[in-house]
Amino acid sequence: MLYCGYLLMFGVVVGMAAVAANPSPFYAALGLVMVAAMGCGFIMCLGGTFSCLVLFLIYLGGMLVVFAYSVALCSDALPTGLAEGSVLKSMVGYLGLTGVVALFQQSSEAPLFWWFVGQESEMSVMQGETEGVSEAYGSGGILLLTCGWALLVALYVALEVSRGCSRGPVRPIK
Amino acid sequence: MTSIQFTFSSAFILGLTGLAFNRTHLLSALLCLEGMMLSLYIALSIWTLETGSTSSSALPLFLLAISACEASAGLALLVATARTHGTDRLQSLNLLQC
Repeated sequence: MLYCGYLLMFGVVVGMAAVAANPSPFYAALGLVMVAAMGCGFIMCLGGTFSCLVLFLIYLGGMLVVFAYSVALCSDALPTGLAEGSVLKSMVGYLGLTGVVALFQQSSEAPLFWWFVGQESEMSVMQGETEGVSEAYGSGGILLLTCGWALLVALYVALEVSRGCSRGPVRPIK
Repeated sequence: MTSIQFTFSSAFILGLTGLAFNRTHLLSALLCLEGMMLSLYIALSIWTLETGSTSSSALPLFLLAISACEASAGLALLVATARTHGTDRLQSLNLLQC
């Protein structure tokens, strides 16, 4: 399980490097799916089952679907591939930079590569994390209402920004 | 820095570099921003699990709600840009060019 957690952490960083060094929005969305899946698996390794479920359902199933059809709306007909020279160079550059910074992650009590320290969690019937989410309705009721209000306002913002060609905020000067 | 903190810190910084150094598409910058919010979600979830404070388990959900607001505003701007300029390439946003 430790090895699995380490692999998933590596997948998160590689996916994020693919998002940053994307030749086209298609590959950036693909990299985001990879980051979400690997991050979800890693949260599950630590025992957070509800958080990873929310990530998959709400993030991948809700927000990334919206991004996917936005990518289909406005993108090139012939995108540049991942195996092109400039993209490979930037991706290797990002990963190399991350690797160099990784070499400096040591201190007196944690020497180099002493990373596999205490990453397990125990299992029980009452998961603390799933029960703790219900605090959103209890002590966090005001924050819940505020977030709901913010979502409603964001809906009207999106409606007004994408209103039309002659009344919208982004239009060419005649 | 432990390996977990290094993971989501480097994911955040990689997203930030992608947002800063993007050159062609507006949508690529928005996707890098979404990647940054995703790394913050992972960080908050792992912080809740590692410290054992179960009452802050709802915090990643609120972060997700606010990031959905931000994504909707960004995508509305993208749609408005694509409607008026025909494409979302950053070269076409040249009204303030000197």
